[in-house]
Amino acid sequence: MALSTIVSQRKQIKRKAPRGFLKRVFKRKKPQLRLEKSGDLLVHLNCLLFVHRLAEESRTNACASKCRVINKEHVLAAAKKSRG
Amino acid sequence: MADHNPDSDSTPRTLLRRVLDTADPRTPRRPRSARAGSCALGTLMWLWNLRGTGLERLRCLGARRALLETASPRKLSGQTRTIARGRSHGARSVGRSAHIQASGHLEEQTPRTLLKNILLTAPESSILMPESVVKPVPAPQAVQPSRQESSCGSLELQLPELEPPTTLAPGLLAPGRRKQRLRLSVFQQGVDQGLSLSQEPQGNADASSLTRSLNLTFATPLQPQSVQRPGLARRPPARRAVDVGAFLRDLRDTSLAPPNIVLEDTQPFSQPMVGSPNVYHSLPCTPHTGAEDAEQAAGRKTQSSGPGLQKNSPGKPAQFLAGEAEEVNAFALGFLSTSSGVSGEDEVEPLHDGVEEAEKKMEEEGVSVSEMEATGAQGPSRVEEAEGHTEVTEAEGSQGTAEADGPGASSGDEDASGRAASPESASSTPESLQARRHHQFLEPAPAPGAAVLSSEPAEPLLVRHPPRPRTTGPRPRQDPHKAGLSHYVKLFSFYAKMPMERKALEMVEKCLDKYFQHLCDDLEVFAAHAGRKTVKPEDLELLMRRQGLVTDQVSLHVLVERHLPLEYRQLLIPCAYSGNSVFPAQ
Repeated sequence: MALSTIVSQRKQIKRKAPRGFLKRVFKRKKPQLRLEKSGDLLVHLNCLLFVHRLAEESRTNACASKCRVINKEHVLAAAKKSRG
Repeated sequence: MADHNPDSDSTPRTLLRRVLDTADPRTPRRPRSARAGSCALGTLMWLWNLRGTGLERLRCLGARRALLETASPRKLSGQTRTIARGRSHGARSVGRSAHIQASGHLEEQTPRTLLKNILLTAPESSILMPESVVKPVPAPQAVQPSRQESSCGSLELQLPELEPPTTLAPGLLAPGRRKQRLRLSVFQQGVDQGLSLSQEPQGNADASSLTRSLNLTFATPLQPQSVQRPGLARRPPARRAVDVGAFLRDLRDTSLAPPNIVLEDTQPFSQPMVGSPNVYHSLPCTPHTGAEDAEQAAGRKTQSSGPGLQKNSPGKPAQFLAGEAEEVNAFALGFLSTSSGVSGEDEVEPLHDGVEEAEKKMEEEGVSVSEMEATGAQGPSRVEEAEGHTEVTEAEGSQGTAEADGPGASSGDEDASGRAASPESASSTPESLQARRHHQFLEPAPAPGAAVLSSEPAEPLLVRHPPRPRTTGPRPRQDPHKAGLSHYVKLFSFYAKMPMERKALEMVEKCLDKYFQHLCDDLEVFAAHAGRKTVKPEDLELLMRRQGLVTDQVSLHVLVERHLPLEYRQLLIPCAYSGNSVFPAQ
């Protein structure tokens, strides 16, 4: 499995999906439901996209407020925007 | 051998070929007179007419040899007998060679073998030449070929019958392998010798004289060949001197690295609380780790020189501990996880300690670099960063090393992190690190305080183990949950491409929690809507469509292709394989 990739920022990002974690979370939240085989991969994809959007939004907020660091407020505003 | 004789445009090889092609199963002597009209005879006559140089004679001889060789396979005994008889007086050497050829290997008709045969027959005394001339020739020949034989061990000796020729065969073969220039000079010498030796009629004496000349020529170049071929001399392989220092360093790193690798394997996801500060510090830290290898050399020097600030010294043990950039992260993670796992996340202090320790390790290098920069008094921006980092590491380093500061550590850490979050630090760390690396190379300045903290970081390694069984908090519930979430938190910080506060990361965690909750609810609704109790990929696709991720233009498969690695793509997207099968089955 692709464990990590070296990106331009010299950060090691694990591209592996925490399948066990996702399955466990789903089981805990909805024990009566079953998740299909590749379903957790799609859930992981969904999470990736969500996190990506959230990060982009937070970054936009931070840049809008001319801060060099992403603050809690930026993240909150982004979350509010996406979820309401 | 392909002699390109400048005298004539045809080479012995071509001549021999011609001869061989047109050779009749007859003795060379007879064809010489009988084959007036044959091409072979024509070549022979032409060769005889060109008796200018020994080469021509050689060619003639070679042609004759070729004829003999072609003749012998066809009618062995008769030919050889006739040849032997016919040449009883004349070139006995020729007959000898023919006999040799007949009895020996007959399939080889290369010029080399021809020459070899010639040489084999050389020692035989020629009828026409006086014995006195012939005797000294074989003597040096025997000496030199033996020398040559020793030098060229693996020469082909395809004629086992005659011993004396075997000694000469290497002599013949070795020169045969020589290039043209050499042979030319050899032949020149031989020709001169041959000419001087034999002024007799050149009928049968030519062969013997040729051979003798050839023998002489072959004998003499044995020594010059070695001189003329310096490339053949065995050279000792050029070896670079081993950098013992670097080697020892690598040894140390590798010896310390395996624990990191082990940790990496067993705990892919860091513990939750550890993850966030790690994430926060990952920005300044990972560049440091990246520059680790480059800094190792400098770090060693800094350690050895070791005055000054304490911060730099941990850099070295950090370098020790984390040989590679990946391992540093893993190590920090593993360490923090172990420390946190032992102490429990509820307790902030040990976490902070562990965090500081890991951070210190990871930041030491950057600190050491920054320190070196500071000492080197490089650009003001870098100094600022160095100062910022030094502040951070100072607080952390002192705390981490002490391990007993506890509460002070956490506060100090926060302050340090706050300071480190100052503009100059994180965003410019990559560039600054590169610059630092340059500085390291340029200025292996004595690292401040290496000696002091060098011992200290080593201690934390040992000290950490005892704190592990300190407290065992509620492990099962939160730990793996936060561990899994931290994975996405890290991704968040990666996507953001900007430094983040720790509180922001905690906020991201809460958002993720809420998100998962919402996700599960939606999936439940969708599955129930479809009358199922199992959540299927169709539900997921519907969810993503509702989120606006999947549109009519962008399908789910496109998103899968874009964001997931190959292994997952293969599991998700149906693909046709050989045998009329589709995987995954639809």
